[in-house]
Amino acid sequence: MRRPDALWALGLLLLLAATLVARPHGSWSAQDRAQLLAPPSTTHPAGTDSLGRDRLSRMSMACLLSLSGSAVAACLTILLAVLVGGWIGLAPSYARAPVLLLCDLLLCLPLLFLFLVVRSTLPLNLPPWRSALITLGLFALLSWPSGARLIAARVSEARTSAWMLQARAAGIPATRLLCSFVVPYLFPLLIAEFLTCLPLFIIAEANLGLLGLGVGEPLPSWGGLLRELDNSAVLATSYWSLLPLASLMLVMGLLQSISLRKESA
Amino acid sequence: MTVHRLLRQFLFLPVLLAACPLHAAAAPELSWAIGGDPRSFDPAKVEDETEETIRYLTGGVLIRLNRQTQAIEPALAEKWTVTPDGRTVVFSLRPGLRFSDGTPLTSRDVAWSIQHILDKKTESALAEEFLKPSEVTVETSGAQTVRVHLPARIVTLGSLFDEIVIQPEGKPCASRVSSGIYSVDQYQPGRSIHLSRNNYYWKHLPQVAGIRLEVMQNRDEEVMRFRRGQLSLIDELPPEYLALINRSSPPSAHDMGPSLDTEQLWFNQGNGAPIPETEKAWFRNQDFRVAVAQAVHRSDLVRVAFAGHATPADSFISPANAEWRNMQLRAPREDKHAALAHLNAAGFRMRAGLLYDAAGNQVTFSLLTNAGNPAREKMAALIQQDLLELGMRVNVVTLGFPELIERLMHTQNYEACLLGGVNVQPDPSTVANVWLSSSEDHQWNPKEPQPATPWEKEIDTLVQAQAAEGDTARRKQAWDRIQQIVADQQPFIYLVYRDITFAASPAIQGISPAPLRPQLIWNIDTWKVSAATQ
Repeated sequence: MRRPDALWALGLLLLLAATLVARPHGSWSAQDRAQLLAPPSTTHPAGTDSLGRDRLSRMSMACLLSLSGSAVAACLTILLAVLVGGWIGLAPSYARAPVLLLCDLLLCLPLLFLFLVVRSTLPLNLPPWRSALITLGLFALLSWPSGARLIAARVSEARTSAWMLQARAAGIPATRLLCSFVVPYLFPLLIAEFLTCLPLFIIAEANLGLLGLGVGEPLPSWGGLLRELDNSAVLATSYWSLLPLASLMLVMGLLQSISLRKESA
Repeated sequence: MTVHRLLRQFLFLPVLLAACPLHAAAAPELSWAIGGDPRSFDPAKVEDETEETIRYLTGGVLIRLNRQTQAIEPALAEKWTVTPDGRTVVFSLRPGLRFSDGTPLTSRDVAWSIQHILDKKTESALAEEFLKPSEVTVETSGAQTVRVHLPARIVTLGSLFDEIVIQPEGKPCASRVSSGIYSVDQYQPGRSIHLSRNNYYWKHLPQVAGIRLEVMQNRDEEVMRFRRGQLSLIDELPPEYLALINRSSPPSAHDMGPSLDTEQLWFNQGNGAPIPETEKAWFRNQDFRVAVAQAVHRSDLVRVAFAGHATPADSFISPANAEWRNMQLRAPREDKHAALAHLNAAGFRMRAGLLYDAAGNQVTFSLLTNAGNPAREKMAALIQQDLLELGMRVNVVTLGFPELIERLMHTQNYEACLLGGVNVQPDPSTVANVWLSSSEDHQWNPKEPQPATPWEKEIDTLVQAQAAEGDTARRKQAWDRIQQIVADQQPFIYLVYRDITFAASPAIQGISPAPLRPQLIWNIDTWKVSAATQ
C-alpha cells in the first residue's frame, strides 16, 4: 500500500463499513415517520430522507453495496471475457467467426435498454437482495464483449510472438506456459479492464436507480438516493440530500486517480 | 428657429417611443405546461389529459357541464328538449353562430360532428357512450334544429354532449378553425402549441388573448419556470412543492381540498393470471383483503407521501362528490389487531414475525407501481412497512408505464398493483365499466364469463338496473349499495383522495377551482389578467 490513493480508497471503505456497524441494526430501512427530512441530530447525524430513514446509514449501505457488487460483477465480466477472448484467440478461424459475430452483436446493443428489456421479463416477486444480485449479474453477463475483443487480440498476438515460439521450442509444458508466461502477459490488460468496468457498473447502477429500476426498495442504491435531487423542494429543505452525490463524486474521483496512476506506472 | 424646434421634436420622438411600454398595451397571454404532445388534434379522438385540455379550450359544444355547479348550461344550443322516454333529444342552435374563420355554423355542421363520432372509422372512445352507436340517427330541420334519436336512454346525456365538439362539416381541421374559446394558431411538435382567441366566440371575447402550452415532462422544471415567472400556472401541482412556492410573496400555491381522484391498491384475482394458485387463494379471500385495508396507515400516506395535501380514502366516491357519496358507508377502520384477527380467522398464522397460510406457504407478494411518480413510490414504501407488521413480505417493483400496462391489461402477470383512478364526471355511471364483471376494465378479474362471486353478481345487477333507470334517487340508492359492497369486499383498497392543488400567478383574477376536470381552466373565458404579468 504505497500508493496514497489506494490507501484513501481503503480508508473510505473501512469508514463506510464502520458507519454501518455503528448505526442501529436495520437503520437503513427503518422509517421514522415523525422525522421526515429532519436536519442532522445525534440520532441521525446526516438527517433523514423524505420517508424518515437515516440518511447516513442509507448512504453507507448504498456505497458498500454498489462498490462491492460492482467489483464482483467486474471480476465476473473479466472472467467471461478471458474465457471467450481466449477461445477467439486460440480457436481455428471457422470456430472463431460465430463467437466474434455474437460479440459484435452484443456490442451494438445499448446496455441500458437491453438491461431494461431483460429486467422487465424477470419475475416481479423478488426480495431486494436478489434484485440487487440480478441487476449486477446482468451487468456482468451483458458487458464482457468489449473485454473479450481486447483479450482475443492480445492472445492472438501472444500466440504468434517470438517469445512464445521460443518457449514452445524450449519444450515448456502448456500449463507452465499459461501460468508463467500468458497470464503475466495479460495481467496489466485485465487490471485496466477491471478499472474501466468498475466505474462503468457503478454509474450504470446509479442510472437505473435514478429511473426507479434495478435495486428494489427498501434496499438503498446510489441512484435511488440521487433521485431526491430531482426535487427542488427537497433540496431547498436540506442540503444534506447532496451527500450521496458528493460521495459518488469522491468514489469516482478515487477510482479515476487509481487508474491514471496505473496508466502512468 | 422653427426648423430647429421641429428637428428637436423629431429627435425627441424616438426617445419617447422607446420609453413607452408598448407591450403593456398588448392583450394578455398566459402559458402553462402540458405533459406531452397531443397524438391528434381531432376532438373526437381525445384520449389523454393534454388532448382533453386542448379540446376544452378549442372546442365549441352544444351544452356545457358547469364544472362548479355541475349543472348543464346552454352553449352553442340555446335550448334543448328530451322526450319522456329519453330517446329523442332536440337541440335549437343560437342564431348567427360562426366558426373562428367567420364561416356560419349551422345544424348541418352539428349533425356531421355527431356522425363523425359515431362513424366506426373515427374510432372515437365517445361512440361507446351512445351504448349502440350504429342505431343512433341524427336529423336536421332548418339551419338551427338538430334531432338526435337514441336506441336507449342515456343517463349521462349532459356530460356526453359536453364532450362532442362541433367542427365544420366534412373538414375536420385540427382545431385550427374552431367553435370554442380559442383556436390552434401554431404547433411546434415537442415544444409548444399556441392558441389565439376566437373572435367569433358566441359568448363574449375572452380577455386572455392567447395561450402558450409548453410541452414539458419534468415537473421540477415546470415549478422552476413558474417561480421565475415564465409560466402563469401549474395545474395538479405535486404536493411537495406547495410549501416551496408559497415561500414567495404573495403565496400563489393553493390546496382546494379533496378531488374526485383516488389512489388505490388491488390484488390480482384473475382466472387466467399466470401467478401461483396459492397466491390467488389469498387474494380471493375477503378476510385477507380486509386485513390489508385495516393495516395501512392512511394518515401517514397523506402526511408523508402527499405532504398533507390529500385525504384518507374509503370508497371510490370522494367526499368532494356529495351528490353521489354514500354518507352512511361503513368501511373497515385502521386497526392492526382486527387485521390480525381477520387473518387468523382465514387460517393464516404468524411465526417469527412472518405470516404463513394454512398450507404453510410464506405470505410474500410483489406490489407494482409506475416509475417516476414520487408520491406513489413513497406510498408503496410505506405500505411495505405497514404490511410487515402483519408479517407480509412485500417487494415493491416500479416499472415504466408501457410495461406496467402490458402486465395489467394483457399478460395479467402481477400480484398486486398500486395506481390512481381519475374520475372525470361526478356521476359514477361514467366509470360503470370498472364494476361490470364482463368488462376488460374490471381490473381485479377482467372479462369474467360469469360473475365469479355472488357479490360481483349483485354489483352487475345493480349497475345494469341503474343504467335503465330515469329516477336519480333510485340510481343513487343503487350506487350507495355498490359502495357498501365494495367497502365490505375490498376488491380495490382505497388509500387516499388527492387534493386539488395548483399554483397560479397572483395577477390572474377569476380562478375558481372546481372538482371536475379541467379543474382550473374551466372558466378561463371570464378570467382577467392584470398588467403585472406583462
